[in-house]
This record gives sequence, C-alpha cells and structure tokens, in this order.
Amino acid sequence: MIDADYILSSLTKTFPNDFSESKIESDTKLTSYVEKDAIFNVCKHMLDNLECNHLSCECGVDYPDRNELEVVYHIASYEHPVVITLKVKLPRDDPEIESIVSVYWNANWYERETYELYGIMYKNHPDLKPLLLIDEMLGDWPLRKDYDGYPNKTSKNLV
Amino acid sequence: MDTNIGPSEMLLHLGPQHAIQPGPYLLDLRLKGESVVDAELKMGYIHKGIEKILENKTYLQGITITDRICYLAAMSNNEVFCGCVERLVGIEPPERSQYIRVIMEELSRIQSHLLGLGEFSTDLGFITMFLYMIREREEVLNLIDTVTGSRITQTYLRFGGVREDFPEGYEQKTMLVLNDLKKKLDQHENLYDTDRIYRQRTVGVGTLTKEVATELGVAGPPLRATGVKFDVRKDDPYLVYDDLDFKVCTQKNGDIFARIKVRLDEIRESIYMIEQSFDQMPQGPLFPEGTPYGRRTPVMRVPPGEVFYRVEDPRGEMGMYMISDGSDTPYRVKIRGPVFPTMQALPPLILNTYIADVAAIAASMDGCTSEADR
Repeated sequence: MIDADYILSSLTKTFPNDFSESKIESDTKLTSYVEKDAIFNVCKHMLDNLECNHLSCECGVDYPDRNELEVVYHIASYEHPVVITLKVKLPRDDPEIESIVSVYWNANWYERETYELYGIMYKNHPDLKPLLLIDEMLGDWPLRKDYDGYPNKTSKNLV
Repeated sequence: MDTNIGPSEMLLHLGPQHAIQPGPYLLDLRLKGESVVDAELKMGYIHKGIEKILENKTYLQGITITDRICYLAAMSNNEVFCGCVERLVGIEPPERSQYIRVIMEELSRIQSHLLGLGEFSTDLGFITMFLYMIREREEVLNLIDTVTGSRITQTYLRFGGVREDFPEGYEQKTMLVLNDLKKKLDQHENLYDTDRIYRQRTVGVGTLTKEVATELGVAGPPLRATGVKFDVRKDDPYLVYDDLDFKVCTQKNGDIFARIKVRLDEIRESIYMIEQSFDQMPQGPLFPEGTPYGRRTPVMRVPPGEVFYRVEDPRGEMGMYMISDGSDTPYRVKIRGPVFPTMQALPPLILNTYIADVAAIAASMDGCTSEADR
C-alpha cells in the first residue's frame, strides 16, 4: 500500500540531501521542498517507482519579501489517492529550472503558462513561448506581486 | 508547427470564431489531402486573469468570481473555492449542508452533461438531439433556479455552508423531474444507439487508449471512457460522497461513442445519488455553530497556510491551490481546471484523422475555453 509515509521514505532514501522541511499532513498529503537541481530526477523516480503517473498541477508563486520565486508541483496518481506537493525555491532575478516535460507530457502548457506569468525559464522545454497572453505582454510577468499594470489594465483598480 | 507546406498539403485555420467551437480558440491544421498531419492549438482569446483578480478580492467577493471560470460548472467551482477556505480556517459544514451541496452539485453535473451532449450532437448535425437535450436541461435548471435564484452563475455556496435551505416540497418536485428525465434518457440513448449514421461517425473514431490517456493527463469522462476508474469522488472523497453508494462509470473502447455513453451513464448515476441524498439528509443548521464564520462575513481573515483541494467537476478533476498570508485576501490562488489538460491533449488526438472528424472529436471532449484560459 502506497501512502505519504512510504513515498517520503522512498524519496529521502534515494535523494538523501535534496529534501528539506518535509511535512506529512495526512495519509494522502505530503509537502516538501526540493533542491532545484534534483527536481527532474525526483519526478522521474516518482513516475518510475512510485506510480505517481499524474501531474495534477504546476504553478509559480512570488515572494518578493524573500526575493524568491517558488515553483510548486502537485503530483498525484491514477492508482492511489496520495497528492505530493513539491516546492522549489528559485532566486527572483535569475529563475531557471529544468523542464519536466520529458517526464510528464502535460507539464508542457503549465510551464508555458508559468513562464509567461512569472518569467521562470525552463531549460530543455520543447517550445517555450507564451500561451495565454498577447506577445506584447511578454516580459511584464503579470502575476508577480510588483506588477502594477497600466491604469486601466489591471484588476487592482476594480476593487 | 512547421508552416512550410509540402506537395498536396495545405494549412487551415479553424477558429478563433467557428460554429463548432465551445469558445474561441485557434486550431491550426496542416492537411495532406483530407488527413490531418500536424496540429497546433493557440489559446488566450478569452483570458480574464481570474487568478490575479482573486488575489485582489476579499474571500467573500471571490466566490462570485469563481462562478465565472466556467458557467456550466459554477457549483463545483464554488465548492473548490469554499472547500479551500474551509480547510484553511478549519471549519466543516454541518451534515445537512453537505447533503445539500451534494444534491446541488449533482444537479449541476446533470445539466452540464446535458448541454455537453447537446452541443456535441449539433456538431455532428444531429440537431434534433440538441433540442431534446436543451429541453431536458431547462427543467433541471428550473430546479437549480428554485433554490439559488439564478440559472447559471449561482454563487450559492458559502464558507461552512450554503446560502439558502431548500424550499418546501423541493424533494417531490425534484424527483418528479428526475424520474421523467430517466425515462427520456432511455429514449435518447436508444436514438443514439440505433442511428446508423451516428454510429459510423463515432464508433472507432478519435480513439484514446488507456496508456495514452494517462500519459496525456486527461481526466473526467474522456479518461473513464478508456477504462481507467479515476474519479475524485471515489478516490479522494470529499463532502459525504463516502456515505453514498455509486459506481464509477467506465467504458472500454475510448472512442467518441464510449465518451457519450459515459456521460449518459453518469447522469443516471447522479440521479441515483440525489435520491439517496434526499433519503439520508438530516435536519439541522446550515452553518457550523460556535465559529465567527457564517452566512454574512464580509470581512474575514484567514489564518496563514496553504492547501490543495480537488473535486470532481462535470468534466474531470478540478483542483485549487490556495495560499493565505493571514490577510483578508488570498495570497495566491492557482486554478487547475479539468479542461486545460483536455484541450492540451486535442492536437495529438486528432493527428492522422480525417478533417471531417475533427469537429466530432473536439466536441466529444466537451471543452470549455473559458475555463482553460481563465
């Protein structure tokens, strides 16, 4: 039976130095920080050995106070109900991380979206270009917290 | 997509405005004769920036915004948003509220599937079926309207409960409509099954296999049509789905015909769930007692924390990731809609099919551009 405990022990055994602040919230919820360079291999290990064959979501979060961006992966499975939340810290001025498209095919659009909204560069992504936004907005990174927008283009003025 | 065309090839732009589409998207097709040899999907025509808007609205205002992610699934979008906040705050709706939510969400699923089937039928040129489905759907919408006061964007759920209780005699009224719907569904399924042209256009067309479907990450009816028993209501139960007896509807073939069958079966299963919920529903309050949160909490502060919560949308797995920093607005909301991966899976699915089948395949996935773009 695969549960959060089993997954965490398997991960920390295979990658002893790459996990920090791991937290098991319940049998099916697991949260952990992962080192930036290890994420590709961690995902590969989870797909191959732990039946985590479903990337549920991938997104970015901005923390201007700490001068950091985070990439958050929610990895689930079609076989068992465990959802694993992996977080990777990136420096805000030069956010660059390995793409996981070759492990999880559907990461493609999530990474394109995170790229255009947060400016996180994905290495070895097959086709990194904006997905939702118009081309003129590339470089604005609108979901970062310091994005002001134009007088009439941002939701801030509607509140 | 490579735009250099070879001999007897042509490029075709399908969209962004086209009669077969559930919303604006641009599908670029490279055709060789009548076959699709390459396809690329371009999104963003209806991007509303809902994630950013939610960061600037209070929690209560946010419920109204989540309705607008996709109007067909407004109830499950409310559920996923309210569920996130409830988990952060640490409250749980009383049992009566949970049953009311299940009933309303299943009604919402029925109307979404009915419209999905109707739109799909139009795209095949099966207009009669569209009119039948829309007629049945209107009855279900009336039921939702009776309780919530609006047909599609209901804003019905609240943190820890629901806005209104059922009116008197609601159970009898609902069961009258649903029993009628059951009979009509059998007739409509018979129409689908016996129509020779319909079978030729759907059986064995647009086939997804189990392996490909899981690799592409699709969820909901297109996945269950391939035989994978994945349903968040069963695998990761929320509300009172644990106490209800229902089966996950699956088919084996994974073609268009199977997807439609799954939707028809799911409507029946939803009706069965609503019957059970009415039987098991206790009397009681709508909101938890002894908490500061209730029907009217215009300014509420949510303790810091983060949560990932997922529910079963009519179209598949709907998830929301919410981070709170202790203020009265969310710090970050990520909406993981079910249609996003489904739309992404469309280009590989239509490779090497005929151009005439593209409309049927796209419609059978029951996409909603509004939700994919957000």
